[in-house]
Amino acid sequence: MSKLRNVAIVGFAQAPIVADDPHRTAPEMLYPVVKQALKNANVERKDIDYQCAGSSDYIDGRAFSFSQVMEVMGAWPPVQDSHVEMDAIWAAHLVWVKMQAEECDTAIIAGFGKVSEGSPMHVLNLQLDPFYHASLGLDHVSTSALQASAYMAKAGVDDAGLAEVAARNRAAGAKNPDTQLRQAVSAAELQKTPFVTSPLREGYLPPIGETATCLVLAAEGKAEKMCDKPVWIHGVDHRIELQTIGARDLTSSASTKLAAKNAFAMAGVKGVNDAQVVELGSTTPVEELILRDALGLSSGLGGKADGPVVNPSGSPLCANPLMNTGLLRLAEGFRQLSGRAGERAVSGAKRAVVHASAGHCLQQNIVWVLGTERRWA
Amino acid sequence: MSRAVAVVGVGQTHHASKQPDVNCAEMVRIAIDKALLDAGLSHEDIDAIVLGKAPDPLEGIMQPEQYLAGALGAHMKPIIRVHTAGSVGCTTALTAATHVASGLYGRVLTVAFEKQSEGNAMWALSPNYAFTPPMVAGAGGFFAPYCRAYIMRSGAPSHIGAVVAANARENAGRNEHAHLREPITVEDVLASPMLWDPIRFLETCPSSDGAIAIVMANEELAKKGPRKPAWLKAGATFTEPMYVPGRDQVSPLAGRTCAKHVYAKAGIKDPWNEIQVAEFYVPFSWYEPMWLENLGFAPLNEGWKVVDRGDQKFGRHLPVNPSGGVLNTNPIGASGMLRFGEAALQVMGRAGEHQVPGVKTALGHAYGGGAQYFSIAILSTEL
Amino acid sequence: MEPPKERVKFIQTDLVLPYHYYAGDYKALYLRALKDKKILGSKCSATGKVFVPPLMSSPDAHAPCEEIVELPDKGIVTTFCVVNVPVYGRDIELPYVVASVALDGADVSIYGLVQECKAEDVEMGTRVQAVWKPDGERQGDHTDIKYFKPTGEPKAPLESFIHRL
Repeated sequence: MSKLRNVAIVGFAQAPIVADDPHRTAPEMLYPVVKQALKNANVERKDIDYQCAGSSDYIDGRAFSFSQVMEVMGAWPPVQDSHVEMDAIWAAHLVWVKMQAEECDTAIIAGFGKVSEGSPMHVLNLQLDPFYHASLGLDHVSTSALQASAYMAKAGVDDAGLAEVAARNRAAGAKNPDTQLRQAVSAAELQKTPFVTSPLREGYLPPIGETATCLVLAAEGKAEKMCDKPVWIHGVDHRIELQTIGARDLTSSASTKLAAKNAFAMAGVKGVNDAQVVELGSTTPVEELILRDALGLSSGLGGKADGPVVNPSGSPLCANPLMNTGLLRLAEGFRQLSGRAGERAVSGAKRAVVHASAGHCLQQNIVWVLGTERRWA
Repeated sequence: MSRAVAVVGVGQTHHASKQPDVNCAEMVRIAIDKALLDAGLSHEDIDAIVLGKAPDPLEGIMQPEQYLAGALGAHMKPIIRVHTAGSVGCTTALTAATHVASGLYGRVLTVAFEKQSEGNAMWALSPNYAFTPPMVAGAGGFFAPYCRAYIMRSGAPSHIGAVVAANARENAGRNEHAHLREPITVEDVLASPMLWDPIRFLETCPSSDGAIAIVMANEELAKKGPRKPAWLKAGATFTEPMYVPGRDQVSPLAGRTCAKHVYAKAGIKDPWNEIQVAEFYVPFSWYEPMWLENLGFAPLNEGWKVVDRGDQKFGRHLPVNPSGGVLNTNPIGASGMLRFGEAALQVMGRAGEHQVPGVKTALGHAYGGGAQYFSIAILSTEL
Repeated sequence: MEPPKERVKFIQTDLVLPYHYYAGDYKALYLRALKDKKILGSKCSATGKVFVPPLMSSPDAHAPCEEIVELPDKGIVTTFCVVNVPVYGRDIELPYVVASVALDGADVSIYGLVQECKAEDVEMGTRVQAVWKPDGERQGDHTDIKYFKPTGEPKAPLESFIHRL
């Protein structure tokens, strides 16, 4: 791998993740978050070169939804700007690419989505092939359930196994003041929750939630002045697969595997076990198990967990504010490696692997490797 | 920009109000196959894909890059989806260029499309937002007051808008891909119904189905291609908020800043004399003189004089929209990339019947939102 | 059901997507005040500029706008268009005038209809006043202001409003 530009995460802020915020619109939720992120990164808005947001018109129920947040980003005089119709973690990737192209040195990345105003069940159906899948009325829970059944049959994992994974995440979430579900629940209790779509129970699915997020990225030379402990990007790659539910192996994640291989090569690490922390964008216990397989982590089922700490934040099972869920994974990597993870800090963490996903059944995946030291001399 | 970026292939569908013979996947595939053929490449040669389009409700498919992953040839590749309102097509092309300039991707395929006939465009573009004062006027009604302010401020005579529309249609007659190609006269335009006074029916853009795909490559790979590439000399996007007190909606600061920025990067001091052809995003005819000023081709309040003299016509000093432009072809999300792609074709000398002779430097431009989002590219025959 | 005899050329999907939109506290305050025939704005803590409807923060100064101020229901038509084409979801007799109205004391304008005059009598600079729905009929939404009507006062000079389009 040739030498790339060292780029670091130097600041982050988020709104509390709640089921619904009846007092604020999406831009009103984002305004204080942008201000706080800038403050956290010791920088004035005028010293930021670029901004990029991630959001979805359908989630917000309005065309050109992103144009509302232009009012709260400090975009006057006019600023260099873009927007991706994706989870904001892909906005972070675009900014990182832009920094590699030396088109900017500092940037803010914003995520928002007023999830409570619409119905994710209805809306996420519209991501599917309009002829064959959407018209069947499938939503993200039913496609996840199809995937879960297939995986459980193949891997021999039962309901108790799913409960164990979910309970582990709930226990982690209890130590994360920034997540939505903050009560630990035992596997036995989770197994008593009703099925939403069999084999997925209420306790194995994330709550509906919303937030606004803002991450600050900076290139070497500026990053050090903005943060006491910048967290450096060592490697990243993202890949998509065909959507067609019937045309791919739902029990594994080939795109995660390839993205991880490329990200690890860029980072110069052998594999996931070179990291102390792994944060996954899994929204069901089965997705976590599939991602563990794809990254080369042990499943940890039956108490055999070894290797890096997985999902110290509690994962999206404790909070899944759409369009922000991915960026929050990157934020967890930043918090863990920069001494900002409080009670849930993984001691001695020097390297983190962060994953996020988009689409039905892990269709599109991104993998990052972060470190406390610069990657390239 | 750290590394040189070139356009090595361009492909577009024909554009029409309805393309009932193809679905979205097939329509984008036509443009992609043409672009790859043009570049002498196949899908294996592509390292990443950048898709752009306007609001998803236009087709009723959320984040359609997921459904279209196969049609886009994206399986096991990186893909991102850009959405920056009307400017999106040009911004998407510039995003693809950034990918190449980063050194991480050798060749990038960028695609933009809209199939407006499949959804309800009026709903998608002019929804009645709760708690926002309703505009009560539709898309043309949003921009008509700013055209009026331009006319008032510049003292432009009322026939200028009609002259622009008739000329654009004449240009579209030379573009085999254009949606509207039947000739119209200035008198026809003036006699057409006044929809949103001061904007007449024939001074507005149509609603089109269509797609465009462009392949970009780094210097080494571009030089291996079968064709003379178009080099991207500079590109930028600038945006401003809507509710800024004192904001100039007629000649927005974001547009002026963006133009200044790209000219500086491209080493252009006198755009009027150093650029031979321009493709502006002109959805309503008055925007042609407005952008001539905003982009520095004419002094403030004098853009209409360029039109009155006919200096922006095909065969004259600075042909503007020789393709016929947005006024005759408007697949919204693709419209901005068509400006970029047409500018590239002019530089490559392959614009066919609407080729402007002797083009060395071309400008592609798009804007969107409430005249807030600006995207400009400068393409050149020289590296 | 009989299978279709012709080739299937398209499928029709009528989407029903439920949304309930929050006004947010600032807009809620504004809408509630309309019921009392009051127009509220918010003042930027950094520049003193007044936004209507009230914004939580100013787009230009990126500063909080916590101070709520009341504005008169009179202002200037800064620019306008005459609508001659039926608009989706609207039922107003054609042609009608949609105007940008800069209320006195406001630094950004709002949209409104201009009625009780001929379309050709509206000019940039025409002074107008809000016509409200009668007491008891106002619901606390944008339609509480039925439209604006010319006041008959002298036309405002261009330089007084050209930056408040």
